[in-house]
Amino acid sequence: MECVVQGIIETQYVEALEILLQGLCGVHRERLRVHEICLKSGPNLGFVASEVRLLCDLEQSEPTWTVKHVGGAMRGAGAEQISVLVRSMVESKASKNVLRLFYALGYKLDHELLRVGFTFHFQRGAPITVTVSSINKMLKLHATDEAVPVTPGIQMVEVTAPATSENYNEVVAAVSSFCEYLAPLLHLSKPGVSTGVVPTAAAAAASLMSDGGGTTL
Amino acid sequence: MPLKWYWVLNWQPNAGSTVNSQILNEVTQCVESINGVKEGRWKATLTFYKPMLRDQALSAEFPRDFLGISLPEQPNKYYFILRGHKIVLEADSSIQLIMEKLQSYKSRVALNFEGFQYQLGDFQLRVGKVVPNQSESLRGIVMEVEYLPISSIEKSRQIMEEFVDIWQDAVSKRSLPGHFMHLEPNFSDYGLADHYTSQHTAVQYTHVMAHLIASGQAVQAARN
Repeated sequence: MECVVQGIIETQYVEALEILLQGLCGVHRERLRVHEICLKSGPNLGFVASEVRLLCDLEQSEPTWTVKHVGGAMRGAGAEQISVLVRSMVESKASKNVLRLFYALGYKLDHELLRVGFTFHFQRGAPITVTVSSINKMLKLHATDEAVPVTPGIQMVEVTAPATSENYNEVVAAVSSFCEYLAPLLHLSKPGVSTGVVPTAAAAAASLMSDGGGTTL
Repeated sequence: MPLKWYWVLNWQPNAGSTVNSQILNEVTQCVESINGVKEGRWKATLTFYKPMLRDQALSAEFPRDFLGISLPEQPNKYYFILRGHKIVLEADSSIQLIMEKLQSYKSRVALNFEGFQYQLGDFQLRVGKVVPNQSESLRGIVMEVEYLPISSIEKSRQIMEEFVDIWQDAVSKRSLPGHFMHLEPNFSDYGLADHYTSQHTAVQYTHVMAHLIASGQAVQAARN
């Protein structure tokens, strides 16, 4: 299970966001370059269609693979009240022939993309990960060296934190609280809820860039 | 963890005879007769997965040899094997939960390989029975021979063969209706190197299982 919020930011303000995150998190950023391969079950496989994501971390000297299943979001009146998405999520590290395995099992490539950017991992009421990345599409199958941005000039920001059915309220509170610090630069909301860029981003970014983040936004 | 070189041997009964618990007891006593020191229990589980199909007529399009294996020396890992495609995958144990959520393949039958393990100098031996999960119906007998000091398959081959010769000699003196067989898979077919890993063990278990099925010893369990 995980808690998730997303938002977008213009590429010109990413450096300012990085300064802000550096100050808030107290850790160094980690570079991100992940090839995400989204597979769907073939037409006859399973009584319901299924999707699975294979993530190949290209930033390592030896690429490493993760299998990720993102399930349904928590439902009910309680879920609608909160501004953070709580959903089922299971991950597993896997050896390098995981793509061959799923193809052999009858899964087909639905789409693939390349995320390039950086992440911050830190503890603030919960173990939180902030990912800032451009989403790139490949012009040829699996050609990660020839990827182009899907939305030039715009990058995605995602804040996630692992949760359980016992502690998700605390994790939601931690994520919501943290997101308030980012409000001058970007608005974060549940995936699928479009919010656009915030009008204060330019001023906030200028402030951050002028004094390296010393100014309280 | 130090890597070791395994041989998985499976009991091949003589024509007209079958495995039974008496043979397992005799084999266990044989280990103790060559001064094997009992250390504790071990258990590996092999699961057959079947595809969930909306149209059974298309079943030939999907693999029927999709296996999952949990090994006692890797409690946080799980192994998938597709024999026909010569694919072995090592993953975290959570991969089983992912497969459950996908609901594209489901567990058809599970077999436990379980018994006692023994220390004998630089060798670790495991003798065990093959039984369907939640059943005591004996389907086979297996033995693992693990040579601790070396993880190179080729470098340890000679000493492994010498040990197995000693073992076979000890077993033969009990006049049991059968013998142990070692069928070494072609690891390179699975993309595995000379340096032994748990993925090699998973492949060996798959081959033992295939042999048990082919010799009719586990047919009922596997084809339910």
